[in-house]
Amino acid sequence: MTWWSVVRFLHVLSAALWVGGQLTVSLVVLPLARRLLDGERREQVMRAVGRRFGMFTGAVFLPVQLGSGVAIAWHKGVTWASLAEPGYGRILAAKLALFCAVMVAAGLHGWATGAGRPGFARATALAALVGSVGVVLLATALPAT
Amino acid sequence: MTPVEVRIEKGPPARPLPGPVRRRAPWHLRANALVVVWLGLTVATALAGEGLPAPRWLLIHVFLLGAVSTAILIWSEHFAVALLRARTPDPRWSLARLALLNTATAAVLYGMAAGPAAVAVTGAGVIVAVVLWHAAALVRLTRQALPSRFRHVIAWYVCGAGALATGGVLGGLLAAHVGHGATHERLHAAHAQVNLLGWIGLTVLGTLFTLWPTVLRTRMPERTRKASLTGLRLAAPGLALLTGGLLADLRWLAAAGLAAYAAGALAALLPLTEAVRARRPHTGAAWTLAAGVVWFEIVLVADAVIVVTRPAGEVAAALEPLLPLVLAGFVGQVLLGSLLHLLPAVLGGGPARFKENMALLERGWAVRLAALNVGVPLLALPVPRPLALLGWALVLASAAAFVVLAVTALARAWTVEHPERRALASPALAGVMAGCLLTAAAVVVSVTGGSSPATTVVATGTRTVEVTLSGMRVRPAVIEAARGTVLTLRVTNTDAQRHDLRLATGERTPLLGAGKSAILTLAPLGEAVDGWCTVAGHRAAGMTMRIVPTGALARPGTVTGHGAHGSAGQATSPDGNGGPVTGTGQTGLDLAAPMSPGWKPYDAVLAPAPGGAEHEVEIRVDDRAVLEVAPGVRQRMWTFNGTVPGPVLRGTVGDVFTVTFVNGGTMGHGIDFHAGANAPDGVMRTIQPGERLTYRFRAEHAGAWLYHCSTMPMTQHIAGGMYGAVVIDPPNLSQVDREFLLVQGELYLGEPGSDAQVTKIREGRPDGWMFNGTAAGYDHAPLAAKAGERVRIWAVAAGPSSGTALHVVGAPFDTVYKEGAYLLREGDAGGAQVLDLAPAQGGFVELVFPEPGRYPVVDHTMRQAEGGAHGLFEVDAP
Repeated sequence: MTWWSVVRFLHVLSAALWVGGQLTVSLVVLPLARRLLDGERREQVMRAVGRRFGMFTGAVFLPVQLGSGVAIAWHKGVTWASLAEPGYGRILAAKLALFCAVMVAAGLHGWATGAGRPGFARATALAALVGSVGVVLLATALPAT
Repeated sequence: MTPVEVRIEKGPPARPLPGPVRRRAPWHLRANALVVVWLGLTVATALAGEGLPAPRWLLIHVFLLGAVSTAILIWSEHFAVALLRARTPDPRWSLARLALLNTATAAVLYGMAAGPAAVAVTGAGVIVAVVLWHAAALVRLTRQALPSRFRHVIAWYVCGAGALATGGVLGGLLAAHVGHGATHERLHAAHAQVNLLGWIGLTVLGTLFTLWPTVLRTRMPERTRKASLTGLRLAAPGLALLTGGLLADLRWLAAAGLAAYAAGALAALLPLTEAVRARRPHTGAAWTLAAGVVWFEIVLVADAVIVVTRPAGEVAAALEPLLPLVLAGFVGQVLLGSLLHLLPAVLGGGPARFKENMALLERGWAVRLAALNVGVPLLALPVPRPLALLGWALVLASAAAFVVLAVTALARAWTVEHPERRALASPALAGVMAGCLLTAAAVVVSVTGGSSPATTVVATGTRTVEVTLSGMRVRPAVIEAARGTVLTLRVTNTDAQRHDLRLATGERTPLLGAGKSAILTLAPLGEAVDGWCTVAGHRAAGMTMRIVPTGALARPGTVTGHGAHGSAGQATSPDGNGGPVTGTGQTGLDLAAPMSPGWKPYDAVLAPAPGGAEHEVEIRVDDRAVLEVAPGVRQRMWTFNGTVPGPVLRGTVGDVFTVTFVNGGTMGHGIDFHAGANAPDGVMRTIQPGERLTYRFRAEHAGAWLYHCSTMPMTQHIAGGMYGAVVIDPPNLSQVDREFLLVQGELYLGEPGSDAQVTKIREGRPDGWMFNGTAAGYDHAPLAAKAGERVRIWAVAAGPSSGTALHVVGAPFDTVYKEGAYLLREGDAGGAQVLDLAPAQGGFVELVFPEPGRYPVVDHTMRQAEGGAHGLFEVDAP
């Protein structure tokens, strides 16, 4: 148990909160809100949930994830060149690219919600959710060494 | 003739429309989805690029045979029906033709890119049949319809179909590899011209007569019919002349044909310019079509220049740079323009929906049009790579944008038609699909590009290998090199038709014309690398090669590489006769095969020692000699004086030999006489090419002595053939009737010093054994003797790794002299059956052949006898 374990723990924890949070919102909160609440309340709740989750993303998740991620990469001796190499580098690069795509989708979701395009908002939210599950998949595929 | 307004989007009035308007022509909707799918595949093929087998060919044929031919099949029939106001023929037959065409196209694509050529040939045959069927259907439509002023258009379609039938036959011949070299190139040129100018060109011109005024929303010019008739009368025979001229290698006939075709095209296009004067193009469809036609004219001019200035055999190669102009500039834009105009009409759904679809499809058309037309010349011109990539990006982005918009429009129409399945198109599903696609892409990126733990290979040396492409083969088919070797392949196309070489690691030569070369430098060799020719069908026909790290070869002895030794530079096969340099190894030398014409055996008859106690000899290294080492197998050997074994030195005890040793070879060599007693440092030193040394030794001892090259690695130099015998007669050597000398050596097929050969030497896996430099040579040129004669056979085992157990079948030895001592003398009670010699030992045996007959002389190590250490004595009656 070293300080690096703590950094890794923070990275995993923050990812778990974010992906888990998305899953909870999409699979539990929103269906229930749609079923149990009437029009106005539902809009209110969904908007509030979205805003709170967006704040969590910007204020906690992203800083922790980027900071701990960069630190772990530095610790493992990852370089720009090594990202192109098959194996650890390539998987990490794919994971980062997918993460960026997820962030773009999440950003679009925020914009679409604000711009009153519920269909597009829903599509981007689900794309971000599936994509972040994919990020977890790639993270587990990273060789352990 | 009164001007007519053509409205394609209106159905034939003969048939009342059942149900709502949007139900119009549902099979067109489905069929156009096929075109859009092919267009998507085209974009994917272009993006996949080098990852695919035969990428150029696939891109061209996915687009032209897939997207364009499907579109022509659908639309030419649809137009024919609309223009002739004919009864819509049974759509089942149309769909059957469409299905057959697409299946056959898939067969052609698969057959040429990956599968057996027969699949592609069958596919081509089916395509020809389908298009002839299509032409017959069009002719029948015309016959059944009432007279129409648009009849002339159908003639263009029928001629176009005839052109594809011709082009398809030519394509089938190409796929079947009928005709090689220049014939192949001429077939290729004719195939390309007749398909592009005929099937596509004629069809497009015919369509434009009616489509163009419709797109412009103007009236059809009055002269159209006349222009059409004149145009077709010029263009169709012109095309036939062009094709015939190219096939028959008659340049001026081809040029005249092309001129007639161009004149016909011009005549046909004249009324179209008139229409433009009446109404300027104002829609994306119109501008895209116009741009396509302009590219068509540019292509025609460039094509004419090529056909006039090149012999027919070089036309296909010269047309290559024009392809982007034809594919993207002309065909692509005409197709896009037509679809832009026609899709909203086909999708139907009433005026509101039509407008909506129109707006959707034309979204950003000006930008897309500009991008495409800026990108096309960048693809065709010899611009720097970044600009060419920009060109690709512009063209592909433009095409992809259309595909996306078209798919959206099709999906919308589908959901309108099937409201009950609307849920399938919900944003949730789209989101999940997008996420899955993103994840899948990331997973693909993460797992491609080799095995997971990256192995960096450290460069250990360099080697240049000559690779030739010809006759549907890559030679050598296998190159063996030590791990870490930086290989440089000098690839030469010695064929009359074009080839290239692409390696799985990504290195590739450009398409090489006849006699052209290119150099590929590889990364340090790690894993085995496959290589192949990317010209369609050539890989399947056997144009493959493999570069393997030493020791990774599963089938030993089946291959050889042309390698260079040390720093001696490249080594080509010096085999002027083009005979096989590769060996057959464990599949067995064919020792019963005839020797090559003109082969002369090494003379086994040993001449008596010349008189005198001083002998002066010059021994010159020749390491580029090509010798027949086994029946029909000629290969490069390293030799002394150009023979294996080298010259025989014979003398008596006490004689002095002064050997002038000259290195006339390509690398360092030395010489070591076992018969002498000298400090090795001086006389046995390695000397470089062009140097010489004097090696003087006194033969103090009798015996049959080996001499050999003294340069390390000696296995390679001895196995390469650098050995010979020194025979020092023992005192009071008895007189015999005949004396022979057999020097036995191992045979390693392949270029001396190549990795493949060295591996076999190191592992002790000779491909055969030789008496005096040829395996089974004396089976083909028996040694002569007479019954009752006393015969002495001197023998030396040169190795490098195996000795001999010399035996003469049917004639026991009464004298055995081995390594300086008699083991058995004539008159002794005993006899001997074998003279056993370890590597580098020597001796002689004497025998008397009892009666006439054929007496084999063999190494009784039977594996070695059967591997070529075998000869015959032809014993006649005295």
